[in-house]
Amino acid sequence: MRALLFAFLLAAGSAQAHKPSDSYLTLHADGRALTGQWDIALRDLEYAIGLDSNGDGAITWGELKAKHAEIDAYVLARLALRADGATCRLQPLEHLVDEHSDGAYAVLRFAAQCPAESYQTAEVEYSLFFDLDPTHRGLLRVERGGDTTTGILSPERPKLDVSAQARSKLQQFADYVREGVWHIWIGFDHILFLVSLLLPSVFVWANRQWLPAERFRDTFWDVFKVATSFTVAHSITLSLAALSVIALPSRLVESTIALSVVLAALNNIWPLVHGRRWMVAFGFGLIHGFGFASVLADLGLPREALLLALVGFNLGVELGQLAIITVFLPPAFALRATQVYRRLVFVGGSAAIALVAALWLVERAFDVKL
Amino acid sequence: MRRFAIALLLSATAAWPAPYTPSDDSAVLERLPTRRGDPVMAELRQLRAALAASPSDSGTAARLAQRYFDLAMAEGDPRYVGYAEAALRPWPGDDAPAEILFTRGLLRQYRHDFASGMKDFERALQRDPGYVDARAWRAAIFMVQANYAAAARECAALEGYASELTTTGCLAYVEATTGKTRAAYDQLIAALERQSSASPGARLWTETRLAEMAWRLGEVPLAERHFSAALKLGVTDNFLLAAYADFLLEQERPKEVVALLKDWVRSDTLLLRLAIAEQRLRLPEARAHAQALAERFAAAALRGERLHMGEEARFLLDFKGDARAALAVALQNWKEQREPRDALVVLEAAAAARDAKAAAPVLQWLDDTGFESARMKRIAASLR
Repeated sequence: MRALLFAFLLAAGSAQAHKPSDSYLTLHADGRALTGQWDIALRDLEYAIGLDSNGDGAITWGELKAKHAEIDAYVLARLALRADGATCRLQPLEHLVDEHSDGAYAVLRFAAQCPAESYQTAEVEYSLFFDLDPTHRGLLRVERGGDTTTGILSPERPKLDVSAQARSKLQQFADYVREGVWHIWIGFDHILFLVSLLLPSVFVWANRQWLPAERFRDTFWDVFKVATSFTVAHSITLSLAALSVIALPSRLVESTIALSVVLAALNNIWPLVHGRRWMVAFGFGLIHGFGFASVLADLGLPREALLLALVGFNLGVELGQLAIITVFLPPAFALRATQVYRRLVFVGGSAAIALVAALWLVERAFDVKL
Repeated sequence: MRRFAIALLLSATAAWPAPYTPSDDSAVLERLPTRRGDPVMAELRQLRAALAASPSDSGTAARLAQRYFDLAMAEGDPRYVGYAEAALRPWPGDDAPAEILFTRGLLRQYRHDFASGMKDFERALQRDPGYVDARAWRAAIFMVQANYAAAARECAALEGYASELTTTGCLAYVEATTGKTRAAYDQLIAALERQSSASPGARLWTETRLAEMAWRLGEVPLAERHFSAALKLGVTDNFLLAAYADFLLEQERPKEVVALLKDWVRSDTLLLRLAIAEQRLRLPEARAHAQALAERFAAAALRGERLHMGEEARFLLDFKGDARAALAVALQNWKEQREPRDALVVLEAAAAARDAKAAAPVLQWLDDTGFESARMKRIAASLR
């Protein structure tokens, strides 16, 4: 009966209070120096070498400190780092403590002294706790400049090569720029919002109606103000959201973005705001920034290269916008006085945009597919 | 702009936890789950010493591994499963003694390696046809895989080896999942009444099953009675608490869930239910608990192991409001585990995502089994 009990009760949704044993090994490898930080659970060290000297069920900082030499000897004997095939001597530098989601960890910072001045390839060989707990894993993170790779060390796969050359800062930056361009390109809601604001740029509001602008200079400055305030606004919120300073529910963000497109398009047909459209661009730009941020978050933000990623992604978004403006503006300005532009493109286009965006709004706000 | 960027960077760094040096030697960093004088620990130490003295003694190794496994279940701590695996390492092959094979099967099914676990149980039964535990586990895994005919065969094969309550309980569990809940309930309660000497553990299991069956039949007060009978036995059981919490949540009684589970934050399954109740009551704790859950799922993903996809799907659905992501995880889970609660989360996620097509395998399961759940039938009807 005991078996049945456990079997039927636990086979499926067994309650895992804690997580299995993991250590977190971070290596900084820049081709010259090789340093690391190793976070090892106190629970695991207690099982392997015993930390609770007075046996009261609690591990204090004093008890841990007294065992530091023993811990260093034990764990560093179970980690081998090789640079270009030559074994490096591991030297403990500092002992700290950190909290992970399942309890306290001893943090050991160490330096690897490798025979050669510089190296191309590095190799990690790991065997900590595998004899005591074959389900233990070493979660490896290798950082080269701002570039991070990860790996899982297990009894089946105790060795990992971390040799690949780091991508240069410039390459990483270029990647983020490309992602930014790509996102504005596939993000139809952002494009339509921008287009809605650009459509009336070739007009001036006079005598309660849209009249073709006289000079390209006026149109240019209007576009410049709209595009710049949109950019500044979404840069602010993109940065704040990417850094987790502010978080908004994605449904709210996506719905508001759709709403912004509807309002911007309708404003062309029944103008409420005409002179200060840059303020509209700024206000709704704040919300669009949250939309961009979710993309950047999905790409994963490297901690060391945060600024690089943010600036790169933002720049990419701007370049994408600039491309849209460049394609849109000259023909629009050329055709601004024609009926084709005034009726078909301006009114018809705005109405179509408003309709599409209204559908998005309903879909996003009520979470339905239309 | 530069100043702004620096300010952003600073605030971001502050949000990340950083390693520190405690200021005081007496600062307690970690509390161990067991103390040195603990009788369970004493037994484990003895077994470890005995195994060290005669490392080839398969009986001692299997006993040590099973003690660790029991501890993992009671405490919900998977580290003990690792220690159990270490004890079995000298017997990697299929020609090991029956108790080693059985224990290895236990550990394998724990890691959702059901195919290998099943083979281990089968080989243990070839060595010893009266190995009741191995038989019962095979039935349980067939149930998880929704292979009800095979599960019923295993239950029937218990006869003559196991107690009447065990055999009846096993069969009733299969029956109740395949549309014959009323009959299953009657058989099981009769068997419980006949076996007055049943252990608290057996009673707990039976009362929990009876409660679930009564609930499924819509007999809420009866279900309540069985749940309280189970709770009164004083055996702490994660599954019972989870089942009762689900029951209370469905009955719109979130306050009682908070009272029941407030000390169970260590368990992923129970923390999820606690957080749901807190969210319904708009309690401030809901936020921190949801954050803790998100961290645990992220930690599991980092390790490349996702043993709680059913819970993860529920979390995505109820807390993140991300129906599509929840549906994807729920369907992934359904490939591995096909118990009623796994079906329910697929149906609810599919309904929220308005994706009836994705729910097809579960709708099929509902048709095939005739599973009697008013809630599931309602959602299924809205999807069809």
